[in-house]
Amino acid sequence: MRRTSRYLALLLLAVCAVAFAACGGSSDDDNGGTTASGGGSGEKVKISFLTHWAPETVTAFERVTAAYEADHPDVDVEIRAVPFADLLTTLRSQAGGDNGPTMASIYDLWLPELVRDGVLSRAPAANTSEIEAEWPANLAAAASVDGAAYGYPNEVDLYALNYNTRLFRAAGIDGPPATWDELVEDAKRLTVRDGDRITQQGFGLISSWAAGTVHPWTSLLYSNGGELIDAGGRAVLDSPQAGEAFELVDELANGAKVSSPQMSTADANTTGPYLENFVSGKTAMIIMANWWESALRAGMRDAFRDVATAPIPVGPSGDAAHSVSYSWMTVVNGKADDAEQRAAWEFLAYLNGPDSGEEGHSAMAALLQSMGILPSRTSDLEAYRGDLDRDFLTAYVEELPNAKPFPIVLGGQEFTEALQRNLEALQAGQMSAGDAQERSQADAESVLETAAG
Amino acid sequence: MTGRIGFTRRAALLSFMLLACVMAAFPILWMVATAFKSPDEALQTPPVWIPGSPTADAFSNVGDVIDIPRSFLNSALIAGLTTTGILLTSLLAGYVFAKYRFRGKNVLFAVLISTMFLPPIVTLIPLFRIVTQMGLDASLAGVIVPNLANAFGIFLMRQFIAGVPDELIEAARLDGASELRIVFRIIAPNVLPALAALAMFAFVYHWNSYLWPLTVLQGNESASPIVISLARLLTYTGSAANTPQVMAGATLAVLPPLILFVILQRFFVNTMSRSGMTG
Amino acid sequence: MRIARQNWWTAGFLAPSVGLIGIFVLIPIALTVWLSLHRWSTATPFGDAEWVGLDNFDALFGSDLVGRDFRQALRNTFVYAGVSIALLIPLSILFGTIVHRAAVRGTTLLRTVLFATYTVPMIAVAIVWSKLYSPTEGPINQALGWFGISPQPWLSDTSSALISLVFLNVWQQLGYFTVLVVAGLTQIPPSVYEAAALDGARNVKLLFRITLPLLRRTLLFCVVIALINAIQVFEPVATITQGGPVGATNVLTYHIREVGIERSQGGLASAMAVTLLLALVVVVTLVFALMRKGDDR
Repeated sequence: MRRTSRYLALLLLAVCAVAFAACGGSSDDDNGGTTASGGGSGEKVKISFLTHWAPETVTAFERVTAAYEADHPDVDVEIRAVPFADLLTTLRSQAGGDNGPTMASIYDLWLPELVRDGVLSRAPAANTSEIEAEWPANLAAAASVDGAAYGYPNEVDLYALNYNTRLFRAAGIDGPPATWDELVEDAKRLTVRDGDRITQQGFGLISSWAAGTVHPWTSLLYSNGGELIDAGGRAVLDSPQAGEAFELVDELANGAKVSSPQMSTADANTTGPYLENFVSGKTAMIIMANWWESALRAGMRDAFRDVATAPIPVGPSGDAAHSVSYSWMTVVNGKADDAEQRAAWEFLAYLNGPDSGEEGHSAMAALLQSMGILPSRTSDLEAYRGDLDRDFLTAYVEELPNAKPFPIVLGGQEFTEALQRNLEALQAGQMSAGDAQERSQADAESVLETAAG
Repeated sequence: MTGRIGFTRRAALLSFMLLACVMAAFPILWMVATAFKSPDEALQTPPVWIPGSPTADAFSNVGDVIDIPRSFLNSALIAGLTTTGILLTSLLAGYVFAKYRFRGKNVLFAVLISTMFLPPIVTLIPLFRIVTQMGLDASLAGVIVPNLANAFGIFLMRQFIAGVPDELIEAARLDGASELRIVFRIIAPNVLPALAALAMFAFVYHWNSYLWPLTVLQGNESASPIVISLARLLTYTGSAANTPQVMAGATLAVLPPLILFVILQRFFVNTMSRSGMTG
Repeated sequence: MRIARQNWWTAGFLAPSVGLIGIFVLIPIALTVWLSLHRWSTATPFGDAEWVGLDNFDALFGSDLVGRDFRQALRNTFVYAGVSIALLIPLSILFGTIVHRAAVRGTTLLRTVLFATYTVPMIAVAIVWSKLYSPTEGPINQALGWFGISPQPWLSDTSSALISLVFLNVWQQLGYFTVLVVAGLTQIPPSVYEAAALDGARNVKLLFRITLPLLRRTLLFCVVIALINAIQVFEPVATITQGGPVGATNVLTYHIREVGIERSQGGLASAMAVTLLLALVVVVTLVFALMRKGDDR
């Protein structure tokens, strides 16, 4: 009897032991090399790269990491991909520990807070001097906080008016609108209704996605001579120029009713109805960034030839088209151990350097180009000059010198989300343009104050 | 009973039930049908209801994006080990609360049970930091260990073990059986249906659990269960032509809990009616 | 001797449960309460938290952006839970009664199909329903068209987005509650019905006079479970709506995670969690009080 109970106790212990061994075993697998490779001598450094890229791009990226691993047998590079909406949360949640991703691709707006919280590793001297020498000064600056570089800039994005030439021809309109008045007039002629319901919208106002709502509007604001935040770090949404930009949204959504907010919502992967409706020819005009070219090509196939691009229409108080621009960069986790950080910076130098791709351009540039995104290293821009001529990109490339960066401040993401909320409420007719302006200014002040304090 | 219901009413009831079945099953049927569509069919508006020339391409494409065997293994480890842990801890604690007397028992029981209704979001952030400090973040152990015991299991086991006659336990003690032996040889066989029901609920819950692994794993694909890998498939939604891939992934994720349910379904109705929670 | 031996077993048998629940549930609850009184960036150690008293709670009930967003999320959460319960309970009574009485063949199939949906992962439910609701390629709008109903915006409109998520929840959970109701019905002795039938009570009367009063405890239990489940809604919001449009689907589980992790405002997020917990305690206490009051009658 007693023996049986001891046997049972042992069995219980064994089950627990197996349980923990199984967990432990698989987690070891994930972190430090596998049991097969951990044979005594040289320990493998395992580093990981967090991104939100689509599967095709990740597959291409895996070819790059495989080539790197072949040359560096002591390094193992793993790619972790999450939907865009999970990217920042994943980055923020790694802050406490060292099992998070070693490297990540981030949006420049997030940099100040990640640096403040000590999440990122400062670039070593050699990498810093490379970044400063090989990238345009404004992008190197966007990847720096207080003069210290924290990452390799990679992609640059800006906005342009995208329009469907087939719908323009059908409505008898010759070319794209150059001013806000023309934008509203053209949108009226491009809008088709079934009773009260809009079945084809003249202009798409994106919602449910912070940057998708705020960046196009900010591009209109910049093209009306306005600003979000002035040089002294103060929110200036109370300017008359901003007032006109809020009124434009009100006119499009509620006055002329040429825009149906329901047709332009986005999902967690920054796709969804706004994209579907443009792809299926139910949205005539929309302001979007260059990177969506690949999504348009995939969705529209032959109909992609109907897509044309033009500069942002200029507002009554503006002098010229000024798109918002923003950049992405690759950074290193400051909580990773020294060997991992060293390996990560070496890998990033390779990935963004002239040796990783063909004909002297970087592997990163090739990956970006496959998505229709502009690279940023000066030599890569040169290398791809020929490809950048294609029709879709023309308006973007020509507008690049006039583009103004989205302000990078502490609390930038929350600032964007607050403005998004008010713009969406305005689009949905829940607020007047005046109220939206007043509330946006108040929210912006409160966010900036809290973030700075 | 049957005899009292007239023909027309029976026909009406039957058609109502048929309608309910179809409506309830429709999303699942649509998911499976879409998984077998070609990219062209997926793009069509109005939608294609039944694929003209069914193709399983989407399933093989899914395999290129996510490591399906690995994801299933991770899901099985998470759901299986968590369930095993819950069964063991609940059985032991349920036995103590049902059959032992000691000071502070009721208070301790009340404290443990009060956590039954706790929405996970309330403790998500500090819990994540604790797990991180233990060095378990981004690993399967971090997903599993915090869930090895739960209040519902203890409650359910106490309810059922209370119904096991004390004489059985006393007789075993007189035979010299240890308490551990009593739990596994006397108690466990007597509450087998409840254990099976608990196993089913725990397995389904932890197979499907999303927020916690999402938070702990931080994008670590090699430790991702199938539900997290499914979210990875969402990066595919750039074009509606890829909808079949997403649906194929969803179909694969749905199957294991569904099969387990069909096998175990006869246990849960009985258990629920006897748990004392409902009547 | 015997007592001492039993104490040893008591401790040994309770240790795993008490240890695990203590470390991974009770301590985190205490930390949440403690953090709610501090200003704390989630990215920093607990020790860096800075005491601010009730400031976080002031912000939650103030007129600023933080308070407006939180109260909208709290309201959305309880509306979502309330409408879910209002749909789930009557439907589960309806289907439970049908399944229980088994008047015609096929009730087992109905029960199986209904309950099967409960085993589908919420993330898969969210993905599938986002396609069903799709304004252009979605079969729901297509089917509505057959009856001459114009396409609905579903998830894209502020007035219908939250309710669209409720439908998805009801679809997934109905089978579970139907089974609970069936379990409750089996507890009612058939003699009760026979006696009532002799008194000449008809079906509808039977339902209100006998079935519902006797099912009261089951139904209140269902309400509590449905409430707890509804508060956990996360996947459809995170993958489809992002809390939009205009915050119409911003629910607390999503919002607390966004504030606490994405924005790193751990103290503020903890204050939200504490407020949710308190609100929940009040509601659940009310439900149980109702149950007890009914018992006294």
